[in-house]
Amino acid sequence: MAIIGVLICSIALCACHDEDIPQYIDDPYGNFDALTKIVGDHYCFFEEKGIDWQATSAKYRKLITPRTGQVELFLIMSKLLDELKDGHVNLSSRFSTSYYRKWWSDYPQDFNLRTLQEYYLKFNNFQTSGISYTVMNDSIGYIYFPSFSTEVSPVSLDYVLALLRETKGLIIDIRNNGGGLLTNIDTFVGRFINEEFTGGYIRHKLSATPNDFSQPFPVKYKPCEEGRMKYMDRPIMLLTNRSCFSAANDFTSVMKELPNVRIVGARTGGGGGLPFSSELPNGWAIRFSACPINDCHDKITEFGIDPTPGYEVHCTPQELANGKDAILDFALANIFSTESKR
Amino acid sequence: MKKLPLIIAFLWVFLPALSEELPRPVVEQYRLEGGKGTAFSSYLSPMVYSGDIIQASAEWSKALPSAPESAIMRFAGSAQLTDLLNPSQTAKMTTTRANFLYGIELRKRLPYSLQATSGTSIEATAGVMYLTRNGNNPVSVIANPTFALDASLSWKFNAWKFPCLLLERLHLPSVGAFFMPEYGQTYYEIYLGERQNLAHFGWLGNNFRINNRLSLIIDCGRTAWELGYSYDYYSAKANHIFNRTTSHLLSIGVIPHGLGIKRKAAINSPLF
Repeated sequence: MAIIGVLICSIALCACHDEDIPQYIDDPYGNFDALTKIVGDHYCFFEEKGIDWQATSAKYRKLITPRTGQVELFLIMSKLLDELKDGHVNLSSRFSTSYYRKWWSDYPQDFNLRTLQEYYLKFNNFQTSGISYTVMNDSIGYIYFPSFSTEVSPVSLDYVLALLRETKGLIIDIRNNGGGLLTNIDTFVGRFINEEFTGGYIRHKLSATPNDFSQPFPVKYKPCEEGRMKYMDRPIMLLTNRSCFSAANDFTSVMKELPNVRIVGARTGGGGGLPFSSELPNGWAIRFSACPINDCHDKITEFGIDPTPGYEVHCTPQELANGKDAILDFALANIFSTESKR
Repeated sequence: MKKLPLIIAFLWVFLPALSEELPRPVVEQYRLEGGKGTAFSSYLSPMVYSGDIIQASAEWSKALPSAPESAIMRFAGSAQLTDLLNPSQTAKMTTTRANFLYGIELRKRLPYSLQATSGTSIEATAGVMYLTRNGNNPVSVIANPTFALDASLSWKFNAWKFPCLLLERLHLPSVGAFFMPEYGQTYYEIYLGERQNLAHFGWLGNNFRINNRLSLIIDCGRTAWELGYSYDYYSAKANHIFNRTTSHLLSIGVIPHGLGIKRKAAINSPLF
């Protein structure tokens, strides 16, 4: 009898716990409501972007009918998500992935890979671990790092910095770097510092309640291990354009705080929120910014990082087509003009 | 009075030895299990995943030396692997779980060849729910040490000249601790060192689990075979996150040296 009693109580307790599982219906309204609920509960920049999510969602929900087809529903949802103006927001179905492009497409590109390779690297550079590098003007190290999506090998970085150790200044070019692994920032930044410092702050939501965030947690960067190659006490210029996003944006915000670093080029594209993933009843995947990563002054980085004052430079498409990279030229010409920005 | 320590030492050494005179066979049970199950983690997805489960489990039980007639100790372990899909079958979740427990139970032999046991156990469960397509929130970790209540009822009978045992066992973890990240916290933040509020006190209200196993054991002499069904429900709720797994498993098991129901040596067998 005792066992039967325990079983009955257990079934009742199971039923109580199962109330916490949301029940969505896989139809146009059910999927739309799931999307608005997931994003509404987790998205982290509503206030900063002045978005009334409920009102915006309601506006787009009116476009749906019970007969709305998959493609049409996808386009309506994509338009709703575009209202967030966030490059970290994607809706992925089996036939397409939505992507907000205006964070870079509305701005000059300020970079041409072919121009860099043909006129500056002359198709003759070292390359390892996704990093292209060379020595320019006999005394300036140049590193082009187009993506953080694969992990940079510390050993490869040792070789890169060893080959550039005699140079008197360093240009790190991350233009068109769309981000990737945040751990690559630790790998890089550790080569340029002698002591631990706080490079930013991260926080996360504590519940679905709007603006219910955790206390900012400092993101600390440590010098690399003993024995690894460093590049210290020499000027560094970090070249950026609008297509520097996410981890590249974060890297820029951290490097900007180092006294011997200047940011040259254009404002970065932002992407200062660590994305979260979820899904809809019909199986479409949704990704969105969930954890704001702010700079070391706890200021939002979602809208991009500005170049160092006086170092904003742009390239016209005509110049780039003619083999002139104004941002790189500016960096080469000015890297020794001031040894330290402060 | 000077002899008192000597008397205590004598009793300490020789009393257990006296009780050892009664045979205390170890019953070993090894099972392979398969079936269906579900997994849900609001940290990973709002959808319930379902699919196939395989599990291997083993159990060793023995009468306690100090009270072989009335107490049993039990050690059990299991490892589980699941392959689950979301309702639209567009994403895959894999869960793994390992579980170990040690328990002590009191038993009472009842009329009509019945035996009832009840007791407690300490248990550790560890595993992950891994949703392959999620980026920064791909796993939900299960880490769950608990103090559990156990009960069983067994009935010994004969069928086709074979001694058989029908065994119903209930396992109910009651209090313990469990791991849960905060609502929107990524594992990257945990890696950075933000580790507050990750461990939670668990009780039946926020960390409910029950395991119910029904087994039919047929003793063929040297070896006994076990056919069984088990139902497992696990849930954890904290930081506005809810995790739940369920499973229905059919099992086939072997008891290498049999139950020894007919043998006199098995008078203190833990199962009957």
